Order: sequence, then structure tokens, then C-alpha cells
Amino acid sequence: MSTLHITAREAVTGPVLGIVGALDHTTATELRTRLTTITLRPGQRLVLDLHGMDFCDSSGLTALIAARNLAHAARADVALVAVPPNTMRVLRIVGLDQIFSLHPDSDAATRP
Amino acid sequence: MYRAGQQPDPPHGSDDGKTSDAAFAALLEDSAEELYESAPCGYLSTLMDGTIVKINGTLLGWLGLEPETVVGRMRFTDLLTMGGKLYHETHFAPLLRMQGEIGGIALEIKRAGGTRMQALVSSVVKHGCTGEPELIRTSVFDARDRRTYEEELLRARRVAEEARKQAEADRARLQDALAVLQQSLLPDSLPSVPGVEAAAHYRTASPDRLGGDFYDLFPIDGRRFGFFLGDVCGKGPQAAAVTSLTRYTLRAAALHDPDPVSALSTLNRALHERYTDGGDPRYCTVIFGTLAPDPAAGQVTVRLASGGHPPALVLRADGTADFLPTPGGLLVGILPSAPFTAVTAVLGPGDTLLLYTDGLTEARTGEDRTSLYGDAALRDFIAGHAGKPPHAVIQALSGLLDDFGDGLDDDSALLAFGVTAPAPRTDISA
Repeated sequence: MSTLHITAREAVTGPVLGIVGALDHTTATELRTRLTTITLRPGQRLVLDLHGMDFCDSSGLTALIAARNLAHAARADVALVAVPPNTMRVLRIVGLDQIFSLHPDSDAATRP
Repeated sequence: MYRAGQQPDPPHGSDDGKTSDAAFAALLEDSAEELYESAPCGYLSTLMDGTIVKINGTLLGWLGLEPETVVGRMRFTDLLTMGGKLYHETHFAPLLRMQGEIGGIALEIKRAGGTRMQALVSSVVKHGCTGEPELIRTSVFDARDRRTYEEELLRARRVAEEARKQAEADRARLQDALAVLQQSLLPDSLPSVPGVEAAAHYRTASPDRLGGDFYDLFPIDGRRFGFFLGDVCGKGPQAAAVTSLTRYTLRAAALHDPDPVSALSTLNRALHERYTDGGDPRYCTVIFGTLAPDPAAGQVTVRLASGGHPPALVLRADGTADFLPTPGGLLVGILPSAPFTAVTAVLGPGDTLLLYTDGLTEARTGEDRTSLYGDAALRDFIAGHAGKPPHAVIQALSGLLDDFGDGLDDDSALLAFGVTAPAPRTDISA
């Protein structure tokens, strides 16, 4: 059974969620539910730190897209941090690398 | 009545001990006949031919008969129902003759008024002093309660059995329905395209779940054919609904404008409008393209665009294989308008174009679910089959899918086109 742990902190740029574990069809709803509880102001940036994510399937991608849609609805930006190589390969194939800003680490992503 | 703190009186006081014993004896003497007549079970004695010579009150009461109509006038079997008589004749009596006793046999007896009563019957043969059988003594127990219980058990078992059969029938019906729906998402057969050989394969990872992979090949006009192959995110009925919308939108879009970028843009708008606006983002990856065969030249011009789908492979007649890059394409349905770019490839004799879904490249090859087959392994495998016709390539990949076994987590769809070898030229002037 896969497990997902979500950490949260507030940076100057806005909320930072850390995704630890597997983001798949059994856990993706946890992230989607969590996303509905965060507050985003216009001009802020929602940062998803994937440093600790060890697996991501198509349901996980859907959750990332949902995060992007949520941010855009709030007129905020969204950024992915430390995307693991396997997931990066998939993001490139499906073209999602074009619609997320990607950063190597959370320092770079939370720089105002 | 005992009072608290006092010892109860002994049951037999030393003074009146003799009186008590006498009273018990009298009671027992009295009860021998009384017990026979009013026992909680029926008793009867018959001659060896079954003629009833003695019967107790309990049994007469159950039968609703008077002793004078029974004793010396009826046989034991006259008290039984037709079924009881048959059973008595074929089993009860022979066993009793053989063993001298028989116990606990369920028989039905007839009651006055035409009703029946379930009874458990035991008999024993009484022998005379010379050892000759003289009498049959029979006891009859009321088994109505027990029969009711048994019937209830049987009824419950029948109900459970029917429920099980119903559940099995429902399950079979559901599987049939799923199979029909699944089939409606895929073409029955591929149309014949002049100068082109086409082959396809679909492998579902689970027969119970509608898959989200799809493909199609269909005529657009007299000259061109449309094709697509893709993968809808998710599984089950919701994914199948997206697959259905995708399939028929692409077919209709292609008839309107067969340009691959235009067809994918139409699909993107349809999916985005239908799902993402409703807060339930659903998307697919798909390659859409057209085939323009030129049988005279022995070649086919393929024009295709990808919406976030793994790149097609081109197998050349010279034994090489390479991906056909389709950069810039995005998952279909996630943005109101998405970028797609088209590429063109020309297939000559012996060349084959292969489309596949990630069920193939993402098949697990190790215990860990991150050890996947991968693009490079697929290209190397397929290069070993370059130069072969599409059906042979599909057959080889089908074998590869077989080898993955439990490693297949997702459905896999495969579609391949190749240029049929030109008919050997015959020299008519010779």
C-alpha cells in the first residue's frame, strides 16, 4: 500500500507543499483535498516540492494539473521543485514541462 | 417454603419414611399403564404381518382414530401415507426383518381429516421363548418441529443458492456489458487501405475494468485515411466515457478538416469544455494522423501530430528503428487551447510505422514499480524486427507483452502500418 505524506510551510512567495512518498491513484485525492484547504492570494506562487516523491502515475499528474488550475483560478503562479528524473521524463512526453515553471530546489522557487 | 436462616426439612423424615416409599410405589404402579397410554410418544404393537394389536392413546390422538377401528382391523402401514408405505415396504420392513430392530426412521403418518404428520419411527422385534419372532413393538415420535427446522434449513439453503446463482448471472451480465462497451471503443476490424498493410493489438490489464486505451483507422475521403491511437487518463466507466467522446470527436473532426493539428485542437476544445470547466479535469494523450497512400510509387505519406503521447517508432527496411519526434504537443484537454505541431514521414516498401501506448513502455520489469521497460529497450527490441511486415511486428510485441506477465499494470494498444511490397513486375512483352 503506497503512502503519501504532505508537509506545508509558508514562504515569502506563498505556500510550499512537500510531497513525500507515492502520488498515485490511491493517494492523489489526498493532495487534491489538501489543495482545497490552502489560501492563495493573487500574485503568490504555489510551490510543490517533489524532492521526496518516489512515484507518480497518471492520477498523480492529474493532481498536479488540478494544483495548476487552482493556482490559475486564484490568479497565482505554480512551480514544481526537484522533479525526480522518471517523472521529468513523463512530464516532457506529455508536454507538461511547458506549463509548469520548474526549479531545481525550493530556494530557487521561493525567491521573490 | 423455606425461610431465610433455616435448614430445609429433609425430604424423607425418619418418622414417615415407610409411608413415602409406599406412596412412590403406588405412584409407579399406577403410572405403568398411564405412562403407556399418555407417554409423550406413540406406541403400538403389531403381529409379524403388521396387524395392530395394541396402540396407545397418544398415537390414537395424533391419528384421530378410536381404538376399536384400529386394533385387529388395521395394519401399521395403513397408518402411513403413500410415500410412507413405499418407504416402509422397500426399506423399513426389510431392515427390520434382517436386523431385528430399526431406529429413527422418518415416516409420514396420515391423520383423520387428511392432514399428514412427520414422525420418527423406531421398531424392535420381540421374540418368543423358542426364538421365533412374535411381535413388532414400535414407538412413534412427533417430528413436526424437527421437520419444520429441517425444512427451514433447506429453504434457507435454497434461498442462498438462488442468491448465489443470481449474483453469478449478474456478474456475467455485467462482464458482457463491459465487453460490449469495450468493443464500442475499438474498431471491429481495420479497413483495407490500398497499398498499405495495417495491424493492431489490444491487451487489457484487467478484464473487469474498462480500459482507457483506444485506436482507430478509417477512410476520410477517396484518397486519405485517418488514424489515431491514445490513452485516456484513468480507468473504469468515467474513463470509457472520455474514450468514447474522444473517439467520435476525432472521427467527426477529421471529416471536417483532416489536418492533424486541427483535429487535435477540436478534441482539446471538446474535452476541456466538457470536463475541466466542470471541475473534473479529464484528459488524454493521443497521436492523430492521416495516411496518403501512393500505391503506384510504392509509398505512403504519413502526417501526424501528438498530444502528449509517446513518440511513434519508424522501422526502416534497412533494419534501423527510430522515434519520430513530435515536440511541443501537450496533453489533450487540460488547457483551453493547447499547442500541437505536425510532422510528416514517408514510408517506403518494407518500412513500418508503429504507434503504442505507455502500457508497453511502462511495464514493470522488476519488483520495484520504478523499474520500467522504457523507451530505449522498446527501440532496441523493435529494431530487431525492422524490415518485417506490420503483422509480424505486432505479433512480436504481443509476445513481448506475454513475457511481461504480471508486470503489465496498464492496458496496451498497438497499431502498425506498412507499405505492402509492390506486386512483382511481369514482363508482358516477353
